[in-house]
Amino acid sequence: MVRSIFKSFLNLPIPKAIANIPILTPSCRPHSTPKFYLPVGKKIQHIGPLFSVPVGERFQEFGSLFSAKYSTNASNNSNGSIDTGISGREYLLISDEELMKQCELTTFKASGPGGQHRNKRESAVRLKHNPTGIIAQAVEDRSQHMNRASALSRLRALLALKVRNNIELDTYTPPQELLQILPAKSTLRGSNCGPQIGPNNPKFSLGMQALLDLLFAVEGSVSDAAKKLGLSTGALSRLLLSDNSLRMAVNEFRISKGMKPLK
Amino acid sequence: MRLSFIRPISCCAVSSSPSTSFKPQTPLFLRPPTFKTTLSDLKKWHLWAKSLASSVSSTFLKLDNGPNSELLLRELNWLIEDTIETPKSFFQETINPVSTRVCLDELYNLWKQRVEKRRPFQYIVGCEHWRDLVLSVEEGVLIPRPETELIVDLVDDVIKENEELKEGLWADLGTGSGALAIGIARVLGSDGRVIATDLSPVATAVASYNVQRYDLEEKVHVKQGSWFEPLRDDEGEFVGLVSNPPYIPSKEIGGLQAEVGRHEPRLALDGGESGMNDLIHLCDGAVSMLKPGGFFAFETNGDEQSKFLVHYIETKKQGNFSKVKMVSDFAGIKRFITGFRGR
Repeated sequence: MVRSIFKSFLNLPIPKAIANIPILTPSCRPHSTPKFYLPVGKKIQHIGPLFSVPVGERFQEFGSLFSAKYSTNASNNSNGSIDTGISGREYLLISDEELMKQCELTTFKASGPGGQHRNKRESAVRLKHNPTGIIAQAVEDRSQHMNRASALSRLRALLALKVRNNIELDTYTPPQELLQILPAKSTLRGSNCGPQIGPNNPKFSLGMQALLDLLFAVEGSVSDAAKKLGLSTGALSRLLLSDNSLRMAVNEFRISKGMKPLK
Repeated sequence: MRLSFIRPISCCAVSSSPSTSFKPQTPLFLRPPTFKTTLSDLKKWHLWAKSLASSVSSTFLKLDNGPNSELLLRELNWLIEDTIETPKSFFQETINPVSTRVCLDELYNLWKQRVEKRRPFQYIVGCEHWRDLVLSVEEGVLIPRPETELIVDLVDDVIKENEELKEGLWADLGTGSGALAIGIARVLGSDGRVIATDLSPVATAVASYNVQRYDLEEKVHVKQGSWFEPLRDDEGEFVGLVSNPPYIPSKEIGGLQAEVGRHEPRLALDGGESGMNDLIHLCDGAVSMLKPGGFFAFETNGDEQSKFLVHYIETKKQGNFSKVKMVSDFAGIKRFITGFRGR
């Protein structure tokens, strides 16, 4: 059985009203946020920030990313890890449709009969991933359909950040998805890895998850992790700082271990 | 049969509707940014618009469950997205003058209409974001609702398991903006076709415009007429029927949210005394329209109507349909009835 450790914010308050949801207005959309475009008729329609939304900002009402709170809906074992019966990696590999089936979808609606009676663009969507209790939501888009896509994509990022896979350090070799996000100077990176995958690529979250698995296994030490990846400590630090949510996840973990945050 | 349907489409999708005199409006976001406004004038407008929205507070909400300031402010941002060529640089104040798709006076005028006249936001900007589509809408056409998005998912689910349904002929009755017809045409297989009907010439013109924008003239055929009337040539040939017919009981029309009751077409809302006049007509007609094994999905006013209709079909249409059931919307209201024509 594969074991995964994850820390969640179960038991944290759930926003009851739309007013509690942080709303990204165009004026405060971060410049660096990757955008997701799709063709609509003859116009390319911008549908808002999708992937690496600054997690701390958007999800702050659910508490800190790596709070000491552990899930209670799965069995705790002696070292405090959670046995969800499925590896965190699998959550990222399954299709949107399969992932959606593991989720409970709620929308923020006001009371009333709805349907033709109503004209209100309240299209906020909240997804709760039942196996882990992780919650992702989206509100800023104009259609419910798009908000669902945004929430699902955010859920993938959160799963990568929060669900840990156990690894054996002694026999560790980095998986392909991790090699792909490493800079070319890594000595372990063969020519078959292709160009480095950056945070804007949907495949980045899978590599990010593997990278966090390694960092957790080496107790947050960047130099130890760098050795396992054939990189200099400086090069790995730069990679860790290149994505906002990755940086925050690493730093929260380091702080919890009494280490200095990376800057 | 199929061929006779396909041939006229390319020339018919637009011209078949006898509404050639009616020209649909172009949504604001598709208009050229030909107007120049100074940054300071535009900022002044923005401040004015924000304060007008804020002054509403929860008045409309208490009055008729209308929008509060928060919702209006979000709509204001969307109005800016649709009318200003580079909304981001406007918000960051890094551009001067600013190119806009309507003139400054019109911006004042539009926002006044939104707040003071309660004109629906979607009519102001001339479009509604629905599923992954941006559909043109205007006065005279029902604004598609988020609940109705689910019908496309229901269709998508049944065609996944059934090649005949995926490649067959569908109908969207009372299509309005064409939302359901377009949404379904995009999930059907390469041979799948949709006929979209509507009694209103404004609706058929707008639906045709939307069909064109999504390059679906080959798949969606818009016809003007009442319910099944334009479909007589293909009676018994349909593998699927969908509809979001008017279902609000007449006596409730007066108490509707102002955006709906004062501005949207009564033809698309008022379902007669019980609200079910048209739904019953659709259930009755579905028997002869559908092929054996064909699927239907209709939107209703919710729990009570859905229960009544399921009972109606099971007792009055005994043996004609199978797997008739109610399906809930995101809010947990039993919003849809679905079923299959018996084989």
